Amino acid sequence: MSEQVHNRLAVVRAERKVSRQSLAEAVGVHYQTIGYIERGQYNPSLDLALKIARYFGLPVEALFSLEPFRPLTDELYGRDQETWRSSR
Amino acid sequence: MAQQQMTSYDRRMHALMNRTEAAPFRRSAARRRAVVCAHIALTAGAVTAWLATVVGESGWGVLVMFGLLIPWCVATGILNGTTRGLLELRPRALDERQRAERDRVRARAQQIMLWLLLAAVVGTGVAGFAGVEAEALVFQVMFCAFVTHWLLPLWVAGLSVRDEPADEFTDEAADALA
Repeated sequence: MSEQVHNRLAVVRAERKVSRQSLAEAVGVHYQTIGYIERGQYNPSLDLALKIARYFGLPVEALFSLEPFRPLTDELYGRDQETWRSSR
Repeated sequence: MAQQQMTSYDRRMHALMNRTEAAPFRRSAARRRAVVCAHIALTAGAVTAWLATVVGESGWGVLVMFGLLIPWCVATGILNGTTRGLLELRPRALDERQRAERDRVRARAQQIMLWLLLAAVVGTGVAGFAGVEAEALVFQVMFCAFVTHWLLPLWVAGLSVRDEPADEFTDEAADALA
Protein backbone atom coordinates (compact mmCIF):
# COMPACT_ATOMS: atom_id res chain seq x y z
CA MET A 1 0.00 0.00 0.00
CA SER A 2 3.00 2.28 0.48
CA GLU A 3 3.67 4.59 -2.44
CA GLN A 4 7.13 5.02 -3.89
CA VAL A 5 8.75 8.17 -2.55
CA HIS A 6 11.43 9.50 -4.88
CA ASN A 7 14.44 11.21 -3.40
CA ARG A 8 17.53 13.13 -4.31
CA LEU A 9 19.48 12.10 -1.27
CA ALA A 10 22.39 10.44 -3.08
CA VAL A 11 22.91 13.49 -5.30
CA VAL A 12 22.79 15.98 -2.43
CA ARG A 13 25.00 13.80 -0.25
CA ALA A 14 27.56 13.50 -3.05
CA GLU A 15 27.42 17.22 -3.73
CA ARG A 16 27.98 18.01 -0.03
CA LYS A 17 30.60 15.21 0.26
CA VAL A 18 28.90 13.65 3.24
CA SER A 19 29.35 9.96 4.00
CA ARG A 20 26.41 7.69 4.78
CA GLN A 21 27.91 7.09 8.20
CA SER A 22 28.09 10.82 9.04
CA LEU A 23 24.56 11.48 7.85
CA ALA A 24 23.26 8.42 9.70
CA GLU A 25 24.88 9.51 12.96
CA ALA A 26 23.52 13.04 12.55
CA VAL A 27 19.92 11.88 12.09
CA GLY A 28 20.10 8.90 14.48
CA VAL A 29 19.70 5.91 12.18
CA HIS A 30 21.84 2.99 11.02
CA TYR A 31 24.05 3.87 8.04
CA GLN A 32 22.45 1.07 6.02
CA THR A 33 19.12 2.86 6.34
CA ILE A 34 20.53 5.82 4.40
CA GLY A 35 21.51 3.43 1.60
CA TYR A 36 18.06 1.84 1.62
CA ILE A 37 16.43 5.29 1.33
CA GLU A 38 18.77 6.31 -1.52
CA ARG A 39 17.93 3.16 -3.47
CA GLY A 40 14.18 3.63 -2.91
CA GLN A 41 13.97 0.42 -0.89
CA TYR A 42 12.68 2.21 2.19
CA ASN A 43 10.43 5.23 2.54
CA PRO A 44 11.48 7.28 5.56
CA SER A 45 8.96 8.46 8.14
CA LEU A 46 8.04 12.13 8.10
CA ASP A 47 10.14 12.57 11.22
CA LEU A 48 13.24 11.12 9.57
CA ALA A 49 12.67 12.98 6.29
CA LEU A 50 12.47 16.26 8.20
CA LYS A 51 15.63 15.46 10.15
CA ILE A 52 17.52 14.73 6.92
CA ALA A 53 16.21 17.93 5.32
CA ARG A 54 17.23 19.93 8.39
CA TYR A 55 20.72 18.39 8.32
CA PHE A 56 21.24 19.64 4.76
CA GLY A 57 19.44 22.93 5.44
CA LEU A 58 16.97 22.25 2.63
CA PRO A 59 13.17 22.12 2.47
CA VAL A 60 11.93 18.55 2.66
CA GLU A 61 10.40 18.77 -0.83
CA ALA A 62 13.88 19.46 -2.24
CA LEU A 63 14.90 15.99 -1.12
CA PHE A 64 11.72 13.92 -1.24
CA SER A 65 8.87 13.86 -3.72
CA LEU A 66 5.98 11.66 -4.80
CA GLU A 67 6.87 12.49 -8.43
CA PRO A 68 10.23 11.55 -9.99
CA PHE A 69 12.75 14.39 -9.83
CA ARG A 70 13.97 16.05 -13.02
CA PRO A 71 17.75 15.85 -13.51
CA LEU A 72 19.48 18.69 -11.68
CA THR A 73 21.12 19.89 -14.89
CA ASP A 74 17.68 20.35 -16.46
CA GLU A 75 16.53 22.37 -13.50
CA LEU A 76 19.68 24.49 -13.51
CA TYR A 77 19.80 25.18 -17.22
CA GLY A 78 16.07 25.02 -17.96
CA ARG A 79 16.38 22.22 -20.45
CA ASP A 80 13.34 19.96 -20.49
CA GLN A 81 13.30 16.24 -21.19
CA GLU A 82 11.74 16.53 -24.66
CA THR A 83 14.39 18.95 -25.87
CA TRP A 84 17.10 16.70 -24.50
CA ARG A 85 15.67 13.59 -26.17
CA SER A 86 15.20 15.33 -29.53
CA SER A 87 18.75 16.66 -29.45
CA ARG A 88 20.23 13.14 -29.19
CA MET B 1 17.67 4.84 16.93
CA ALA B 2 16.89 6.62 20.15
CA GLN B 3 20.51 7.16 21.18
CA GLN B 4 19.62 9.12 24.30
CA GLN B 5 17.65 6.20 25.73
CA MET B 6 20.27 3.56 25.04
CA THR B 7 21.92 1.98 28.06
CA SER B 8 25.58 0.98 28.14
CA TYR B 9 24.45 -2.61 27.54
CA ASP B 10 22.57 -1.48 24.41
CA ARG B 11 25.63 0.38 23.14
CA ARG B 12 27.90 -2.63 23.77
CA MET B 13 25.48 -4.97 22.01
CA HIS B 14 25.03 -2.52 19.13
CA ALA B 15 28.80 -2.33 18.66
CA LEU B 16 29.08 -6.12 18.90
CA MET B 17 26.39 -6.69 16.28
CA ASN B 18 28.03 -4.21 13.91
CA ARG B 19 31.54 -5.64 14.03
CA THR B 20 33.12 -6.16 10.64
CA GLU B 21 34.93 -9.49 11.15
CA ALA B 22 32.12 -11.46 9.48
CA ALA B 23 31.84 -9.05 6.54
CA PRO B 24 33.22 -11.54 3.97
CA PHE B 25 30.40 -13.96 4.84
CA ARG B 26 27.64 -11.45 4.14
CA ARG B 27 29.06 -9.92 0.96
CA SER B 28 26.82 -11.82 -1.45
CA ALA B 29 23.43 -13.52 -1.34
CA ALA B 30 25.05 -16.90 -2.10
CA ARG B 31 27.36 -16.60 0.91
CA ARG B 32 24.50 -15.55 3.17
CA ARG B 33 22.45 -18.54 1.98
CA ALA B 34 25.43 -20.83 2.65
CA VAL B 35 25.75 -19.52 6.22
CA VAL B 36 22.02 -20.02 6.84
CA CYS B 37 22.18 -23.56 5.40
CA ALA B 38 25.25 -24.35 7.55
CA HIS B 39 23.44 -23.04 10.63
CA ILE B 40 20.37 -25.15 9.86
CA ALA B 41 22.57 -28.24 9.37
CA LEU B 42 24.47 -27.60 12.62
CA THR B 43 21.21 -27.07 14.50
CA ALA B 44 19.71 -30.26 13.07
CA GLY B 45 22.87 -32.17 13.99
CA ALA B 46 22.94 -30.82 17.54
CA VAL B 47 19.22 -31.45 18.10
CA THR B 48 19.53 -35.01 16.74
CA ALA B 49 22.52 -35.66 19.00
CA TRP B 50 20.70 -34.25 22.03
CA LEU B 51 17.58 -36.31 21.35
CA ALA B 52 19.74 -39.41 20.84
CA THR B 53 21.23 -38.77 24.27
CA VAL B 54 18.00 -37.99 26.12
CA VAL B 55 15.55 -40.32 24.38
CA GLY B 56 17.84 -42.90 22.81
CA GLU B 57 20.18 -42.95 25.83
CA SER B 58 23.28 -43.19 23.65
CA GLY B 59 26.55 -41.91 25.10
CA TRP B 60 28.06 -40.62 21.85
CA GLY B 61 25.30 -38.04 21.43
CA VAL B 62 26.72 -35.79 24.15
CA LEU B 63 30.14 -35.74 22.50
CA VAL B 64 28.65 -34.91 19.09
CA MET B 65 26.48 -32.20 20.62
CA PHE B 66 29.41 -30.52 22.37
CA GLY B 67 31.49 -30.89 19.22
CA LEU B 68 28.83 -29.03 17.25
CA LEU B 69 28.29 -26.37 19.88
CA ILE B 70 31.27 -24.14 19.04
CA PRO B 71 30.69 -24.14 15.23
CA TRP B 72 27.01 -23.47 15.97
CA CYS B 73 27.91 -20.47 18.16
CA VAL B 74 30.24 -19.12 15.45
CA ALA B 75 27.54 -19.53 12.78
CA THR B 76 25.00 -17.82 15.06
CA GLY B 77 27.40 -14.93 15.56
CA ILE B 78 27.92 -14.59 11.81
CA LEU B 79 24.16 -14.58 11.22
CA ASN B 80 23.62 -11.97 13.92
CA GLY B 81 26.38 -9.86 12.37
CA THR B 82 24.81 -10.29 8.95
CA THR B 83 21.44 -9.03 10.21
CA ARG B 84 23.16 -6.34 12.36
CA GLY B 85 21.47 -7.71 15.44
CA LEU B 86 17.98 -7.33 14.02
CA LEU B 87 16.59 -9.93 16.42
CA GLU B 88 19.06 -9.55 19.26
CA LEU B 89 19.05 -5.81 19.92
CA ARG B 90 16.37 -4.10 21.94
CA PRO B 91 13.92 -1.96 19.95
CA ARG B 92 15.51 1.25 21.26
CA ALA B 93 18.83 0.19 19.72
CA LEU B 94 17.22 -0.20 16.29
CA ASP B 95 16.09 2.54 13.94
CA GLU B 96 12.65 2.80 12.32
CA ARG B 97 13.66 0.83 9.20
CA GLN B 98 15.17 -1.98 11.28
CA ARG B 99 12.10 -2.17 13.51
CA ALA B 100 9.86 -2.44 10.43
CA GLU B 101 12.19 -5.09 8.99
CA ARG B 102 12.07 -7.04 12.24
CA ASP B 103 8.27 -7.02 12.19
CA ARG B 104 8.32 -8.28 8.58
CA VAL B 105 10.78 -11.06 9.42
CA ARG B 106 8.74 -12.19 12.41
CA ALA B 107 5.52 -12.19 10.38
CA ARG B 108 7.15 -14.28 7.63
CA ALA B 109 8.63 -16.69 10.18
CA GLN B 110 5.23 -17.06 11.83
CA GLN B 111 3.62 -17.93 8.48
CA ILE B 112 6.28 -20.57 7.76
CA MET B 113 5.99 -21.93 11.31
CA LEU B 114 2.25 -22.38 10.87
CA TRP B 115 2.82 -24.71 7.91
CA LEU B 116 5.64 -26.54 9.68
CA LEU B 117 3.42 -27.16 12.71
CA LEU B 118 0.64 -28.40 10.43
CA ALA B 119 3.13 -30.76 8.77
CA ALA B 120 4.29 -31.97 12.20
CA VAL B 121 0.71 -32.64 13.34
CA VAL B 122 -0.17 -34.45 10.09
CA GLY B 123 3.13 -36.38 10.12
CA THR B 124 2.65 -37.52 13.72
CA GLY B 125 -0.94 -38.48 12.99
CA VAL B 126 0.03 -40.48 9.91
CA ALA B 127 2.82 -42.20 11.87
CA GLY B 128 0.26 -43.07 14.56
CA PHE B 129 -2.09 -44.57 11.98
CA ALA B 130 0.81 -46.48 10.44
CA GLY B 131 1.37 -48.28 13.70
CA VAL B 132 4.15 -46.17 15.23
CA GLU B 133 3.53 -45.32 18.86
CA ALA B 134 2.54 -41.66 18.44
CA GLU B 135 3.00 -40.86 22.13
CA ALA B 136 6.67 -41.75 21.81
CA LEU B 137 7.08 -39.14 19.09
CA VAL B 138 5.43 -36.26 20.93
CA PHE B 139 8.50 -35.14 22.88
CA GLN B 140 10.79 -35.23 19.84
CA VAL B 141 8.31 -33.38 17.64
CA MET B 142 7.61 -30.79 20.37
CA PHE B 143 11.32 -30.22 20.93
CA CYS B 144 12.02 -29.82 17.19
CA ALA B 145 9.07 -27.40 16.92
CA PHE B 146 10.43 -25.39 19.87
CA VAL B 147 13.91 -25.10 18.34
CA THR B 148 12.48 -24.21 14.93
CA HIS B 149 10.20 -21.60 16.46
CA TRP B 150 13.19 -20.10 18.27
CA LEU B 151 15.59 -20.01 15.32
CA LEU B 152 13.34 -19.60 12.27
CA PRO B 153 13.23 -15.77 12.53
CA LEU B 154 17.05 -15.71 12.48
CA TRP B 155 17.14 -17.87 9.34
CA VAL B 156 14.47 -15.77 7.65
CA ALA B 157 16.32 -12.58 8.61
CA GLY B 158 19.61 -14.02 7.27
CA LEU B 159 17.96 -14.77 3.93
CA SER B 160 16.21 -11.38 3.78
CA VAL B 161 19.38 -9.28 4.00
CA ARG B 162 20.13 -7.36 0.82
CA ASP B 163 23.49 -6.47 -0.73
CA GLU B 164 25.14 -3.35 0.52
CA PRO B 165 26.63 -1.04 -2.13
CA ALA B 166 29.90 0.67 -1.29
CA ASP B 167 29.74 4.24 -0.09
CA GLU B 168 31.62 6.50 -2.47
CA PHE B 169 32.05 9.10 0.26
CA THR B 170 33.61 7.58 3.32
CA ASP B 171 34.34 9.76 6.33
CA GLU B 172 38.04 9.71 5.42
CA ALA B 173 37.36 10.86 1.86
CA ALA B 174 35.00 13.57 3.09
CA ASP B 175 37.62 14.79 5.59
CA ALA B 176 40.30 14.82 2.88
CA LEU B 177 38.10 16.86 0.54
CA ALA B 178 36.96 19.28 3.26
